[in-house]
Amino acid sequence: MASCSATSALSLCSLLKLNCRVSPAHKNFPFLPLSVSRKRILSPPSLSFSFKKNPRIAPPRFSESEAPVIEVEAGPVPESEPAQIVETSSEVPKREEVFAVVMIGSRQYIVFPGRFIYTQRLKGANVDDKIILNKVLLVGTKTSTHIGKPVVPNAAVHAVVEEQVLDKKVTVFKYKKKKKYRRNIGHRQPITRIRITGITGYQDSPAVTLDSL
Amino acid sequence: MTRIRQGYIARRRRAKIRLFASSFRGAHSRLTRTIIQQRIRALVSSHRDRDRQKRDFRRLWITRINAVIRESGVSYSYSRFIHNLYKRQLLLNRKILAQIAIFNRNCLYMISNEIIK
Repeated sequence: MASCSATSALSLCSLLKLNCRVSPAHKNFPFLPLSVSRKRILSPPSLSFSFKKNPRIAPPRFSESEAPVIEVEAGPVPESEPAQIVETSSEVPKREEVFAVVMIGSRQYIVFPGRFIYTQRLKGANVDDKIILNKVLLVGTKTSTHIGKPVVPNAAVHAVVEEQVLDKKVTVFKYKKKKKYRRNIGHRQPITRIRITGITGYQDSPAVTLDSL
Repeated sequence: MTRIRQGYIARRRRAKIRLFASSFRGAHSRLTRTIIQQRIRALVSSHRDRDRQKRDFRRLWITRINAVIRESGVSYSYSRFIHNLYKRQLLLNRKILAQIAIFNRNCLYMISNEIIK
């Protein structure tokens, strides 16, 4: 798929080059500051759906298999492979016991690899799109935590959009007594279900460990 | 004009309302006119409390964070913790801090140590 190769092209580009600037064709991907909300990127629906705000330098490290790291560092690789390897390595049953706190749509979520979360509707993301969340505020393992000030540098949470769905119906009932005023309105909020596949890129940042307590 | 019986129209309307109030206590789930009133009260409460929910949860999180923070250090409290949090430019919100306090308390201690420095 064109968008898939564009996605992996983006990711490859960032992996291999320093200060990778996305090509001028993707004009809406400037080097955005971290505090910009995700809505900025979502306007052109035809562009690739990897929501990388700042193309990062660090290669993704998957504890499940070493194959992707080696292949990426080798250089010339068929572009579709890293994307596929990302997907298959996340199916391996062994999971790292990491968690991250990620900010999506100005809400914060605690995120574990392999589980899903419901967020506000991400416009422009289709089902089975891979998403990279860059606003990682905290990454924790059993023995150490990487605290972000305010964001953990180079950390990224990889996720896959599972479905774009409407929330359960909420009845908004407005009523004033003795004034013959009642309004009955139903509301279903559009949400997106996202499955977290991995948390990467946090190893470099300074960690606080249990020993220092 | 031909005579028209009401038929099942009112019954179907009231059945829906009765279904809504089917788990209410006593007469509130049995008597039709009471059911209608109680349904209105229930919906109004839920609408009002959806806004209160946001306030209530924030209070709960603050209480929980306060409880955990006071254990570490003599005169350390929630207010000082939050002040340090802002000084150090951390963006974690109270919901996450309260969750961390329950699920991974060491992590919270690490954060507070990191901030105090």
